[in-house]
Amino acid sequence: MELTDAGLVARVLVDDDQHAYGELVRRHQSSVRGLLRQLTRGDFALADDLAQDAFIRAYKNIRSFRGEAKFSTWLYRITYNCFREDARKRKELVGINEEQWQAEQDPQTVDPALRHDLMQALSLLPIHERSAVLLCCQQGLSHDEASRVLDIPLGTVKTNVLRGREKLKKTLAAWTQ
Amino acid sequence: MNEEIEQDWLDKKLHEAVPYLEDDGFTARVMQRLPRPQPRLQFLRPFILVGASAFASALTYVLSDGGRFIIVQMFKLTTISSVWVVVFALASGMLVMAGGILAAMAKERSAPMLDSA
Repeated sequence: MELTDAGLVARVLVDDDQHAYGELVRRHQSSVRGLLRQLTRGDFALADDLAQDAFIRAYKNIRSFRGEAKFSTWLYRITYNCFREDARKRKELVGINEEQWQAEQDPQTVDPALRHDLMQALSLLPIHERSAVLLCCQQGLSHDEASRVLDIPLGTVKTNVLRGREKLKKTLAAWTQ
Repeated sequence: MNEEIEQDWLDKKLHEAVPYLEDDGFTARVMQRLPRPQPRLQFLRPFILVGASAFASALTYVLSDGGRFIIVQMFKLTTISSVWVVVFALASGMLVMAGGILAAMAKERSAPMLDSA
């Protein structure tokens, strides 16, 4: 029987079990790295560095995880903080790495031209709208969870998602017809 | 209605834009960078337990009139029938065995997870 995230966290807390933490990393690496790739506008190397920092920071601070939210929500918050701190340092100088992005995507799921337009449209959104849209529409977090992750009021999250969606819809209008 | 369809379409495409990312050694790189657990605290654990037990015993001895209750209980123990002594010994043995089996099962369950990590 596979242990839940909470069970694995308990093992880390009680026994300092690093193997249990390894299992948590393995479970969440794809979503964390995926989110960071989008937030960094396709800078895969930076996204992976930030993802590593996020997992290490989460391990060091695991005693502050009280289980009130899901482990993934707590992890997303740390991930977002890592990204925000780095973006502040770089002042969002990262540009979209289109070639690398195209090369690593699965060509069978989304039309490459549509993906290009989608990525372009996402990268044009201001960071607060992009983060809210990615967390709620792509990662499937509720507005309440996204509000915890981004550390902003619930109403602001809803507004940012709404505005971000509207902008994406306008930009991608040709694809929906 | 049209707006709902557009919204669903957008969410679907956003989901599809990020496929599952293979680990490709990412977890191993994170594990290498994790700080080592502090062995000093693990080493101290039995001493803390034994110390706390000794302190509790001493406190009990002092507060119970020099351990008089132990003598009373020992006297009571000598008066119970041998059948009860056997039953008590059997029950204790089974309890310890059950604990051992549960611990072994828990260890066995965690083994595949540890290997795969």
